[in-house]
Amino acid sequence: MTRTITYAEAICEAQRDAMRNDPDVILFGENVAAPWRPSTKGLKEEFGKVRVRDAPITETAFIGAGVGAAITGLKPIVELMLIDFGLVAMDQILNQMAKTTYMTGGNVNVPMVMRAIYGARGGGAATHSECLYGVYAHMPGMKVVVPSNPYDAKGLLATAIKDQNPVVVFEHVRLTNMEGEVPEESYNIPFGVANLVREGSDVTVVAVGRMVNEAAKAADELKSKISVEVIDPRTLVPLDEEAILRSVAKTGRLVVVDEDYERCGFSAEVAAIVAEKGFHNLKAPVARVANPNVPLPFNKSLENHVLPDAVKIVRAIKNVVKVG
Amino acid sequence: MSLPDSVKLDLYRAMVRIRTFENGIRTLINDGKAGHVSFYTGGEGVAAGVSAHLVKEDQIGSTHRPMGHLVAKGADLNRMMAEIAGKSTGTNKGKGGAYHIFDKEVGALGGNGIVGGSVPMTAGYALRNQLKGGDNVSISYYGEGASNQGGVQETLNLAACWKLPMVFVCENSSPEEQTMLGHKIDYPQLSISDISLRAPAYGMPGDSGEGWDVEEVYRIAGKAVELARKGGGPTLLEFKIHRLNADEDSEYCPIKCYRDKLMREGVLTDEIDEKIRAEEAAEVKEAMDFAVGSPEPEPIDAYDDIFVEGA
Repeated sequence: MTRTITYAEAICEAQRDAMRNDPDVILFGENVAAPWRPSTKGLKEEFGKVRVRDAPITETAFIGAGVGAAITGLKPIVELMLIDFGLVAMDQILNQMAKTTYMTGGNVNVPMVMRAIYGARGGGAATHSECLYGVYAHMPGMKVVVPSNPYDAKGLLATAIKDQNPVVVFEHVRLTNMEGEVPEESYNIPFGVANLVREGSDVTVVAVGRMVNEAAKAADELKSKISVEVIDPRTLVPLDEEAILRSVAKTGRLVVVDEDYERCGFSAEVAAIVAEKGFHNLKAPVARVANPNVPLPFNKSLENHVLPDAVKIVRAIKNVVKVG
Repeated sequence: MSLPDSVKLDLYRAMVRIRTFENGIRTLINDGKAGHVSFYTGGEGVAAGVSAHLVKEDQIGSTHRPMGHLVAKGADLNRMMAEIAGKSTGTNKGKGGAYHIFDKEVGALGGNGIVGGSVPMTAGYALRNQLKGGDNVSISYYGEGASNQGGVQETLNLAACWKLPMVFVCENSSPEEQTMLGHKIDYPQLSISDISLRAPAYGMPGDSGEGWDVEEVYRIAGKAVELARKGGGPTLLEFKIHRLNADEDSEYCPIKCYRDKLMREGVLTDEIDEKIRAEEAAEVKEAMDFAVGSPEPEPIDAYDDIFVEGA
């Protein structure tokens, strides 16, 4: 049965389902046992303080402990309070979590999920606001998941927990209270399968996370003038290249929207894939709407100035489609 | 209380095996048949004395000098040597090399190319043991350089807070005069004489000993392992060692020290010693032949193992 719940509640449900089904699923991180955190609410009460535990504020130690627990057969969900805080634990994340499977020739694997809040919150400044999924997607060995709505959040997290590889799940801070229709029963959304958010024929807009909603807003606003197709890849690794290329083959135009930094990021990756494999279909240069390589400023009007939004996406689409 | 002769001879043999194995690597390197290795030589007393208390289901996390720890834990010599030679039959299919050898079957989890990198992971092995409810323990090996790393200090705290069944074993390889990779340093990297002095600051027991005395290691480690098995939480141990070369002439060579002692006690004779060394040399020779005779990986193999299949 379907009912309306929030993004955070959907995340909580996916974890609850997994913990009910598999005693090896455990959860730890900063404040995960606190009763007021919506994405882990009630889990300590149901599963106890052995399986759901607060960790000292030492990301290197507890992320590394997650890697070790996964290597020895547990299925840890490790919560990183904010993705920016992962930067203090990059050895455990990028060297150990991501690469141990390859470096051991598959002798061991790391079935671990790292959940992290990310994204601009309005006045968080640059240590509490970043996306950084480009950094994670850059390093081979991790799957990177960026759900844009409650339904996807529950289904993708369920898939992440079952996966035998390290998966990083990015949960946008401003989507926490987003409501949506979510089935009560558990379900899995496969990785590497894009979601067609809006069907259109004039231009393809590729966006992930909260930017999917901004892109949809832009598409709806332009509806009478320009037919905009919005694609949400949902997972950066693996990436549904085919869905993007198929769409560009149809529309001949591409706008990539990305809240992350523009340089060497997800937007550049999508643009490069289309340039390499779909260039002959392009009727106009590819456009990117991304953070223009500015650390997120504290001041809200400065922050809004550099963040992509529906207005900037509309402008970029008009530019690409050459409609005044 | 004196140890039974069989334990003494096992400790001695374990040390000889490690040294013989590393000397086999030296031969392969001289012949141009193996890649870069950082040797463990001189630390054998620690790996042998600690591992004597472990069972297969216990785990160890090691360092970029992992050979002693891995061999003492029972890792497969053939597949280890093949890994060091970069062959497809290696423990890591030739993709990790000496620094990253893992042999999951015996809980040898594993070498690590980052100083202090394995320590948080080893807490994870202990967490698994704690949740499974048995009495298995994990051993976290690291050096005096790693002892200052943030991740190591964080993990000492985490292990104490969560009362994890593990033992931290720090091998201090410049106990008299502080050095870094053999070079004398103008500013010390440690401001204390014994690294185990940090133990009470983390709320756990600690002890230091001479790593060239394998029986001392055995005694000290035995107490810590027993405490962890009983649910008493972690211990921080430090053993002083000296990094040595292939031969056994140093007064700090744990094999020489123990050989002399066991000879005096009459536990070891020239005849028994020769037999032990011949048997270990034969095992290592077999491993070297296996490594040299094994195929190189195919170029296509580079693309495997980034992810494992299955959900």
